[in-house]
Amino acid sequence: MNPVFAVLLPLCTAFLIPLGFIFFRRALPLLVFSGGFFSALGAGAVAFLGWGGISTVMGGWAPELGIALKVDSLSACFLLLTSLGFPLALLSSAEEFGWHSWRFYVIFFLSWASTNGILVAGDIFNLFVFFEIFSVAAYLLVSFPASSWQAVEASFKYLIFGTLGALFILLGISYIFMATGQLNMALLQDFFPALPGPTLGVIAGCLLGGLLVKCGSAPAHFWLPDAHSSARAPVSALLSGVLVKAPLYALLRLGTLFFLSPLPRFFPLLLFFGTLSLGVGHLMAMQQEKIKRMLAYSTVAQIGTILLGLGCASSLGATASIYHVFTHMSSKMGLFLVAGVFLEDRHANSLGEMKGFLRHRPFFTIAFALLAASLAGIPPLSGFQSKWLLLLACVEKGYLIPALFLLGGTLISTAYYLKVLGAFCSPAEAPLPHRRPRPLVQGAVLFLVLLSLLLAVLPLLPGGKELLFSLPPEGMLP
Amino acid sequence: MILLSYGTAIVLFVIGLCTLLFRRNLFKIVIALSLMEGGVLLLITSMGYIPGGVPPLLPLLGEQAVNPLPQSFTLTAIVIGASDIALALAYIIKIYHHYGTVDVDKIRGLRG
Repeated sequence: MNPVFAVLLPLCTAFLIPLGFIFFRRALPLLVFSGGFFSALGAGAVAFLGWGGISTVMGGWAPELGIALKVDSLSACFLLLTSLGFPLALLSSAEEFGWHSWRFYVIFFLSWASTNGILVAGDIFNLFVFFEIFSVAAYLLVSFPASSWQAVEASFKYLIFGTLGALFILLGISYIFMATGQLNMALLQDFFPALPGPTLGVIAGCLLGGLLVKCGSAPAHFWLPDAHSSARAPVSALLSGVLVKAPLYALLRLGTLFFLSPLPRFFPLLLFFGTLSLGVGHLMAMQQEKIKRMLAYSTVAQIGTILLGLGCASSLGATASIYHVFTHMSSKMGLFLVAGVFLEDRHANSLGEMKGFLRHRPFFTIAFALLAASLAGIPPLSGFQSKWLLLLACVEKGYLIPALFLLGGTLISTAYYLKVLGAFCSPAEAPLPHRRPRPLVQGAVLFLVLLSLLLAVLPLLPGGKELLFSLPPEGMLP
Repeated sequence: MILLSYGTAIVLFVIGLCTLLFRRNLFKIVIALSLMEGGVLLLITSMGYIPGGVPPLLPLLGEQAVNPLPQSFTLTAIVIGASDIALALAYIIKIYHHYGTVDVDKIRGLRG
């Protein structure tokens, strides 16, 4: 199956939505949901069929000139991530925004198409183009609806940082083109070992700087807590669960493809920035009084955790990172959706005002407790399993300080999630407000809890461990 | 001559980066982004240059044309940059309506 379907289906849906709104307004929900269903189905099919590796060049050009698309088991499992995360966010958004704001769905599907595009792109210039569509769609998603000034301010900050990162990535790409005259990733791999050291260093610096700004790692994380906490709940869930993983995929892909043998210093740098954002994220999350801001800082810390696995530059580390990407997606999306329900019920954001949530909405509180425990790393939940693999990967390479940070982060995150749960479970002072039934969000959270539990038993199932360790493609890492 | 072009590109990029880091006016920040983008695009366009090359248009008017690939990248990147800048300016209008200022230090709605 041609990987282009993973991009084409959401892109077509995005451009059909305005037409649907003008000519068949009644059928808009049907159009959006069927578009979402077929997009997820298409991406899932590309992921399953492309597990062993597909590469095509569009339009019958030579690989040096044409638009190359490539799927292997690494991009296939990230495609699986998008085809789980986007439909869940779509269901919750339908409940949150209703059907008057058709513009939201256009941006949503554009963001879906560009994320899938990043995952299947086979040459670095297309990677950049998809990254820019992805970023512009993400800025617009954060500031939707544009009536909230916090969202506009956060989105502006995100735009400045995101464009800065994009320009560094573009500079890196132009240096690569200057040094080699190539843009196709598979062909470039053979050129890199022959490049002189300083050239490699400059290219690696530009790409690393740009991608770290885009993924919100510690020294450049200032946009992330604002953007992820000011957006509406389904968008926050999407940003933290799925969108933030796209730059991490690009780091893993480009890092292993280009710098593994010619520039091994690249990976300790990843490890350094990962440890830094792990520490900063958890410490800042501890101090937050607002629940969504706390979850957003926890995302900074989890990005650091994922970077640790990439920085180990081993097959075990990459496996643990990918596993943690899925764990973080299932937990953090659920936590943000529950926080959104709380925000709508109470019209308040701070920890002091969330008393009595257990009696008010028992299902959501129990789901929050389970997902928070999983993310903090309580055994035997899925967060524990992935953090354990990350610890093993760090210790295997002899990186003890990152391993200690990982353990300390587990303790701190347990503390701040317990603070939230304590507030949820304490008796309410005021009479309980009226509650709107939230069937779609409830279904999405239930699905995420089940996914989290499935991830926890995955290594114990027969063949599960082999599946997990076959995630990084053969020969990508030692 | 081509070195002058490369040098100009990098100088533009660095001027943009310094403006972005040290100026506190929202409009100047957006101008800085625009300058940085201009620098990178100048670098991309000038690396396709071949001494004595003519514009890559058919029919060719000389012996050898410059490399058309970087020019097509530049066109794509210009479109992307324009949409970024337009969105940034739209956000500045919104922010100005709320705060009545474009000074970063006075816009502190989301600190802490």
